[in-house]
Amino acid sequence: MSETGARNRRRDLRFALTLAVPAVAVVVLLLGYPMGYALYMSTYEWNDKLGQLPQFVGLGNYTAAVVDPQVQRSLVRTLWFTLVTVIGGVALAIGIAVLLNREFRGRTVARVLLLVPWAVPPVVNGIMWKLIFDGSSGVLNAILLGLGIIDTPVQWLADPTLAMNVLIFAEMWKLLPFLCLLMIAGLQNVPANLYRAAQIDGASPWRRFTRITLPNLRPTIMFALIVQSMWSLKVFDTIFVLTGGSGGPAEGTTTITFLTYIVSFSNLDRGYGASLAVIGMVLVLLVTLVWLALLGRRDRTEAR
Amino acid sequence: MTRRTRRIIGMVVHRVLVVLLLVYLLAPFVWMVLFSIYPSQALQQLTPDLNPAQLTLSSYARLLGDPTFLRPMANSAMVGISTTIVCMVLGTWCAYAIARYRFRGRNVVLLGMLTVQAIPVIVLAVPLFILLRAFGMYDQLPGLVVTYTAFTLPLVVWMLVGFFADIPPSLERAAVIDGCNRFQIMTRIALPLATPGLAATAILAFINSWSDFFLAKVLTTTNATTLPVRTAAFQGLFAMDYTSAATAGVITALPVLLLALIAQKWIIRGLVEGAVKG
Repeated sequence: MSETGARNRRRDLRFALTLAVPAVAVVVLLLGYPMGYALYMSTYEWNDKLGQLPQFVGLGNYTAAVVDPQVQRSLVRTLWFTLVTVIGGVALAIGIAVLLNREFRGRTVARVLLLVPWAVPPVVNGIMWKLIFDGSSGVLNAILLGLGIIDTPVQWLADPTLAMNVLIFAEMWKLLPFLCLLMIAGLQNVPANLYRAAQIDGASPWRRFTRITLPNLRPTIMFALIVQSMWSLKVFDTIFVLTGGSGGPAEGTTTITFLTYIVSFSNLDRGYGASLAVIGMVLVLLVTLVWLALLGRRDRTEAR
Repeated sequence: MTRRTRRIIGMVVHRVLVVLLLVYLLAPFVWMVLFSIYPSQALQQLTPDLNPAQLTLSSYARLLGDPTFLRPMANSAMVGISTTIVCMVLGTWCAYAIARYRFRGRNVVLLGMLTVQAIPVIVLAVPLFILLRAFGMYDQLPGLVVTYTAFTLPLVVWMLVGFFADIPPSLERAAVIDGCNRFQIMTRIALPLATPGLAATAILAFINSWSDFFLAKVLTTTNATTLPVRTAAFQGLFAMDYTSAATAGVITALPVLLLALIAQKWIIRGLVEGAVKG
């Protein structure tokens, strides 16, 4: 009996591995190999425009990148964009989730409609907002002019600061629904009797929100902050469409990802581009660790 | 102020906010649809002229009769469907093994599938470009399918593990007694029970590859170019053909929008599953 049991377990193992290996192999080969290749490239001076053989420079690309003012500016822009979309997005999502968590007719429809922005492809998202914010023929200017709020059309996408704000606004529309769905799911895990008890104790709605809703949402909020940071840090498509593939005006919307694209595919400076890409990846890692440190620790002190 | 009036005020405020939210969610898209069926002069004013007499589908007719638009459309459909099939076959196997069997490295695989989703696509873009060119797959549909599979598979596995874990194993134990082998148990018992989850995951995989812009932009030029790349080309740096851009936008968004709304219940579950459990 124990012998057949052992044989069965061996067969189980062989069966499970046979099933798992193809997918793992595909992922390791197709993501792992290029990843190693990128690290390798980043240690070479490798410019396909110059047409000379790549030369090993060690960490030369990285030291050059760190002092490159263009890189520094793009990092600041990236962090600003990420900070606003992540914090603003999660905060708004909590509000909307509370709004949609109440009983009312049409609640299900409202939740389903959240999927509309989520499903719209990023390129289409860019076009959509361009139709609204375009300086000469966008509808926003037409409305503002018609209402007499402004006298001359605002060039939303021709001013670096304004363009960044438009970009943040456009991305927000697309990313909010997913965060809302997360928060709604999180709210459903909050025990209802806590609210009932608080109501009996005469706690105000705001107090109930800060003392019951927020603490119970903490795991969901942490997950949302981390996942959204990863996405915000790699935003590309919307920038490309909103700015006509330039990252402009005057570099105003060139994030680190967009700069990597320009360096790698316009300047054909593959080595330097690879080092920028790796820097972008390290940034993702750092931001994740920051969130874990900030929210993970508070969790522990509260448990005491 | 009595409690009753306060409650009514609260309710009114709540309804107003909900309506504002719905307008915010839908208006930009509706506006794009309007742009695709009305001449742009009729819309670019404070009170848009929505006289049905002006309504025209001519820009749809123009795009859907244009071979340089139809080709990317067919490419996107083929790449999307192929990627989905490959991802679902490989992903189902892997996820089932992870959900049902205990083996060394199981947690590593599961965690790995989650972690690789954090890798920015841009890191891999140049190496993939060089590799595909070396294998003669640059600007070819198979090259895109291979690439999309690599990026979509981790998400597919991650989602499917959740769906498989929800199926009670007792049913499969009964099948063992009936003399099914391990593979039959998977295909005859577990897969049918997981159908809604499988469908939602497949739709998500399709949406992912259909919507991609960056990889298609970098790994194709003319032959294998996809719909999002073609659509993005409608807007130049300075001038933009608004009606065509809006029409292309609607055509690009419509298939994934419909899929998402059809499978909404399961997609929402699949999306938030990992987060709430983790």
